[in-house]
Amino acid sequence: MSIDFLMLLKQEMMLIVIIFILMFLKLGKDRSNESYMTIVNALLLANVVIGFFGNEEGVLFAEMFRTNKLMVLEKNILNLGMLIISMQSFVWLKTHKHVPEFYILLLSTMLGMFFMISAGNLLMFYLGLELSTIPLAAAANFDLAKRRSSEAAMKLIFSSAFSSSLLLFGISLIYGTTGTLIFSQIPLHLGNNPLQIFAFILLLAGLAFKISVAPFHLWTADVYEGAPVAVTSFLSVVSKGAVLFVFVSVLYTVFKPLAGAWYNMLFILSLLTIIIGNLFAIRQDNFKRFLAFSSIAQVGFILVGISGSSTFGSASVVYFVLIYVFSNLAAFGVISLVSSITGNESISNYRGFYKTNPVLSWILTLALFSLAGVPPTAGFFGKFFLLFAGAGKGNYWFITIAALNMIISFYYYLRIVKAIFMDENDHPIPRVLIPLMPRLALYTCIAGVLAVGFISYIYDYIHSLSRGM
Amino acid sequence: MSTTEILFWFLSALALVSATMVLISKNPVHSILWLIIVFFAISGHYILLNAQFLAIVNLIVYAGAIMVLFLFVVMLMNLNSDSEPQKNNRFKIAGAISGGCLMLIMIDVIRDAGEVQNAKALVKEGNIGLIKNLGMVLFKDYVIPFEISSVLFLAAMVGAVVIGKRN
Repeated sequence: MSIDFLMLLKQEMMLIVIIFILMFLKLGKDRSNESYMTIVNALLLANVVIGFFGNEEGVLFAEMFRTNKLMVLEKNILNLGMLIISMQSFVWLKTHKHVPEFYILLLSTMLGMFFMISAGNLLMFYLGLELSTIPLAAAANFDLAKRRSSEAAMKLIFSSAFSSSLLLFGISLIYGTTGTLIFSQIPLHLGNNPLQIFAFILLLAGLAFKISVAPFHLWTADVYEGAPVAVTSFLSVVSKGAVLFVFVSVLYTVFKPLAGAWYNMLFILSLLTIIIGNLFAIRQDNFKRFLAFSSIAQVGFILVGISGSSTFGSASVVYFVLIYVFSNLAAFGVISLVSSITGNESISNYRGFYKTNPVLSWILTLALFSLAGVPPTAGFFGKFFLLFAGAGKGNYWFITIAALNMIISFYYYLRIVKAIFMDENDHPIPRVLIPLMPRLALYTCIAGVLAVGFISYIYDYIHSLSRGM
Repeated sequence: MSTTEILFWFLSALALVSATMVLISKNPVHSILWLIIVFFAISGHYILLNAQFLAIVNLIVYAGAIMVLFLFVVMLMNLNSDSEPQKNNRFKIAGAISGGCLMLIMIDVIRDAGEVQNAKALVKEGNIGLIKNLGMVLFKDYVIPFEISSVLFLAAMVGAVVIGKRN
């Protein structure tokens, strides 16, 4: 045991420390929710800040855990997402009876994601994945009085149990055919053996469930709609981002010998995901369901980037997830405020929103522009890099269809903007007061949406850390 | 055929038949009883592989503790064949087709996997399932997953308590 060991495990240690502080706070004397939240947000802020200092690369526990600068950056992005979500859910949590538990559940989920990102062994990878889904199901049930919330939790736990079993079957077949669980050893034993490709398909299906890629997306809309907004935004941003990071690193390193097979799979899956996400997003009226389908379509675009299988592909995915954190959380932040204060979640209620809430309207509009990929916002640069990375393979039909789908997505994002600014409504949503913490979070998101695209240093930094195949 | 082979085939057939019975029994309590037999058959396989400790733990934990929980839940929920939701025929056909496709692929894939067919199980040779070796492996090579799973249990407990304290 040395300082080295603690430095490598720094981010995981921080999360465990915060979880235990919260446990003991809950066991101690009763506090008001606001004091809990001040403490938690301060701790989370410290967590984000500490993540940026003293980072080293290394391997621990016989390759069970490995870390490098890219992984540290990915974890920092997730930490930042967690902090923003925590600040945005201030209004909703203020009246909730179980604030520390909420954070314990979400932070243990984050811990699972961190270990999953850093895993160098399939066993560790699987354990991290489980740790990142089981507590989330309990968190989805956090609107304790609402039936829909329990329904969402049940659907989440069933679909994730099913996907985990597929994944576990895939892992066991890989272990059976290669004789090893260690990431650096597996590629040496992989070939074009059909049993290994079958195992890989099972593994891919398990992961596709978690990031809701098209044939495996059916749980997404129901769970997003039923779960509390804070959990929904966590699911759609942090949890999805973590699995995407792992997806890239697993495909690019462990399954590199099967690249010919998985390129075709990604090709079909990504087109299917984009088209289904788009078509269903057009007809949604509930805002959370709408964002669920929009996030499915976004994942489709990310798969286009991953299929490029170059340094560029890996960098564009991390970059896009960073932008996605800001733009999606800005949208969820507004919805979270409006829904916890007025109870409205349907898009038709947002007609004439600009008359009563100009600031929130502008924030929501910028977020939607960024999700759609309208040029001045960061979302444009993110999608541009993804498509560009995908084009590296020379399959231009594929990229053309994806780009055409971006235009379809303009329709449904801008439909909401039209409803907010142009539609008449006799009873618009009343004026919503924004408390300090959600306001800070929303401004951070908007700053991110506007700035990340223009500060080319960020992309260059990510690119310098990324590795292709 | 040696005794080990006879036992292997017997246990495999027993496991498969009882696993099928778990699925097709109308009464949930019967399903659970069949599941216990599946666990016994699997424990038998562990013993064939010289993993006595794993066999016993499998029996105590799965066939013992977890099955008791299952039975409690089923009895408390008072499930029976009447309260089972009506299944649509279309779902049955779709399930049969997709399950059949999966089976075809699996059979074909295993037929083509040459190296795996030649591999032999290490009967009576492997000693990883003995309690001493298992302890060494668990606390040396696999110490970090072992510790992380404690966080998983903690989170699961917190979640269960919160959901249970609804009122």
